[in-house]
Amino acid sequence: MDFDDSPDEAAYRARVRALLEEHAGELLHLAPGQEGIDARTHEAEMRRTQRVLAEAGLVGVTWPREYGGQGGTLVQQAIVGQELARARVPALINHIGIGMCGPTVITHGSQAQRDRYLARLLRADDVWCQLFSEPASGSDLAALRTTAVRDGDDWVVNGQKVWTTLAHVSDYGILLTRTDPSKPKHAGLTMFVVDMHAPGVTVRPLRQMGGQADFNEVFFDDVRIPDEERLGEPGEGWRVALTTLMNERVAIGGAGGAIGAPVEEFAEHARERLPRLDPERQVLARQAVGRAVVAALAARYTGYRRLTVLSQGGIPGPEASAGKLAGTEAGLLMADAGVRLLGDDAVYAATADGDDRWQRTQSWLPGISIAGGTDQVLRNILGERVLGLPPEPRNDKTAPFSGGTR
Amino acid sequence: MNFDLDADQRDIADGARDFYRGNASPSAARAGLEGGRLEPGRKALADIGFLGITVPESAGGSGRPLLDLAVVAEQGGAVLAAPSLVTAARAAVLLADAPDLAAQLADGSTAFAVLDGAVDGSAPSVDAADATLFLGLDGGDLVVGEGEVVPGRPMDATRGLASVRLTSRRVLTADAGALWARARQVGAVVMAAEDLGGADRCVQLGVAYAQEREAFGRRIGSYQAIKHMLVDAWVGVEQLRSLVWWAAWAADSNPAELPVAASAAKACAAVTFERAASTLIQVHGGIGFTWEHDAHLYWRRAKVDRLLLGDEAEHLDAVARLAVTGALGGGR
Repeated sequence: MDFDDSPDEAAYRARVRALLEEHAGELLHLAPGQEGIDARTHEAEMRRTQRVLAEAGLVGVTWPREYGGQGGTLVQQAIVGQELARARVPALINHIGIGMCGPTVITHGSQAQRDRYLARLLRADDVWCQLFSEPASGSDLAALRTTAVRDGDDWVVNGQKVWTTLAHVSDYGILLTRTDPSKPKHAGLTMFVVDMHAPGVTVRPLRQMGGQADFNEVFFDDVRIPDEERLGEPGEGWRVALTTLMNERVAIGGAGGAIGAPVEEFAEHARERLPRLDPERQVLARQAVGRAVVAALAARYTGYRRLTVLSQGGIPGPEASAGKLAGTEAGLLMADAGVRLLGDDAVYAATADGDDRWQRTQSWLPGISIAGGTDQVLRNILGERVLGLPPEPRNDKTAPFSGGTR
Repeated sequence: MNFDLDADQRDIADGARDFYRGNASPSAARAGLEGGRLEPGRKALADIGFLGITVPESAGGSGRPLLDLAVVAEQGGAVLAAPSLVTAARAAVLLADAPDLAAQLADGSTAFAVLDGAVDGSAPSVDAADATLFLGLDGGDLVVGEGEVVPGRPMDATRGLASVRLTSRRVLTADAGALWARARQVGAVVMAAEDLGGADRCVQLGVAYAQEREAFGRRIGSYQAIKHMLVDAWVGVEQLRSLVWWAAWAADSNPAELPVAASAAKACAAVTFERAASTLIQVHGGIGFTWEHDAHLYWRRAKVDRLLLGDEAEHLDAVARLAVTGALGGGR
């Protein structure tokens, strides 16, 4: 048991660090206290940042070389992630494409699709989004109603998607549709790659509770998709989507990366703010700080265990859902304590000197408990697939979708 | 990065599981509440070598790292074994410069207990009820001596809790505050490991029952109200396992991290075991509330352990104080 880099890993880390220093002038960096950059206002700089990193070999580390990746290990990917965070490079504009869409194309796409899209995706020549949820199908994703109807060499798509992160800057998306309503809900689905600039695609931003607008609703009106842009066979869409969703849960918290603030930043905040509370409040605040730190450390070290399994050739399993659950809980505890430490300023949206870091974190974390599998859906997955508890009886899995039992 | 048990440690865990399942059980813990003998008992633990795992080979022990002992302690915790390996681990640290006494600890020829609080009237201390030689901190010095033992009425008999007043004493190590603190941290890690075993067993028992018991025409584990309760308990167990392994590893491989890791593990153990044991009772309904069922024996252990060697509040406070001084560890 050890937490050190092996000699190979240490050499790799040194190379990554040197590359990030060498290219620092071409990359976006987060200011102190800033945790993200708005793609709406900084799209060009964000694309350039990813392209520079890709050309330096720091994007798609684990992807096969034939698709523009580095053919590297999951541990190398983790090292790159740690060094990007250390250098305060913001999340890549194509993080959805890299984490979810790309792996789905690699697993289920045709050779022509892999050749056409993957290298460009890594360079952010094209930005990707994931078009799954709909107004009437969130957790119950397989109940979706957007239709694709075969017409000659094309499919014609009609319907609406929602909560689509980055759709407003995307060039392509992976799109889950219903192609056979006479089949049971999971069996009648088909996945496509859709050109977000195609006629009939309309993107409208949605403003989130915290005020930002990172996600969108997307309308499809008679959008034509060539059959060669199908991902997997007709009717196989659910299996393809599961590939995407599993990658999503690994991407969000699966390897123990911090959700919300890194615990070191939280500790630094506590160091500054604790002495400014009156002594009796300090006693109570230290309890909240301790509780949050314990949760964050537990999530971090549990992630290290998962990373160890992956580095020894294991594949991401349903237990990654536990990482997202525990990481979300730790993030919420830190955000709550982080705001409380502000004393009287805790009830305002920012401190008197304009710092809104903890209030902002507090206002976007509720979304993390929903995105990529709600806390409750994840508990069902863990209960049934890890603990072996029986599923809820369901009457929607066998009847035709068009039969009314949805 | 390699954060997993190695093949040796897995073998040790398998061996310990077999030993403890054959030599201890919750039934013994129940009998202990009515004066029965505790299992497996000090002699059996000495004979199989568990009391000397961290005692140096030169003093008749195995000279193994704390992580090996933690792996064994988890298996003991799963069946509510007594006495605890907390005392063995803690005393091994305190007796580092007293090889003759360490040898008596390892071979079981002397029944040691480590006293918390004042030596002329200690706080309830683990496995003190049947001990004959006591280690304590007296005015900053580590002392050893015989004493008068006053056991309380046990909430959990397996912890052997008693207050002790030393009737003789001699100084083993002067000015031993740092040594004492380290020994207590090591003890907290081992107790967290035993709690891990107990909490894990509670989840297993709860899951097994939820897979069989039917209500309203279906198995109760299919209801999300039951399922999510068990999942939350299981997630807690996996988080605790990570902290226990980290803390046990730190004790030997990165001592600067031991204080924060030990407190994190002990605080996490307090809530995790209590939640798992409460969940076990709730999932079973009425039967889980009976004397005959094992659930309350785990619940008793959880209710007691959460207060021993520092309660959750003390350890959360310690974690917070260490965190703000930048002592979170490597920042890996």
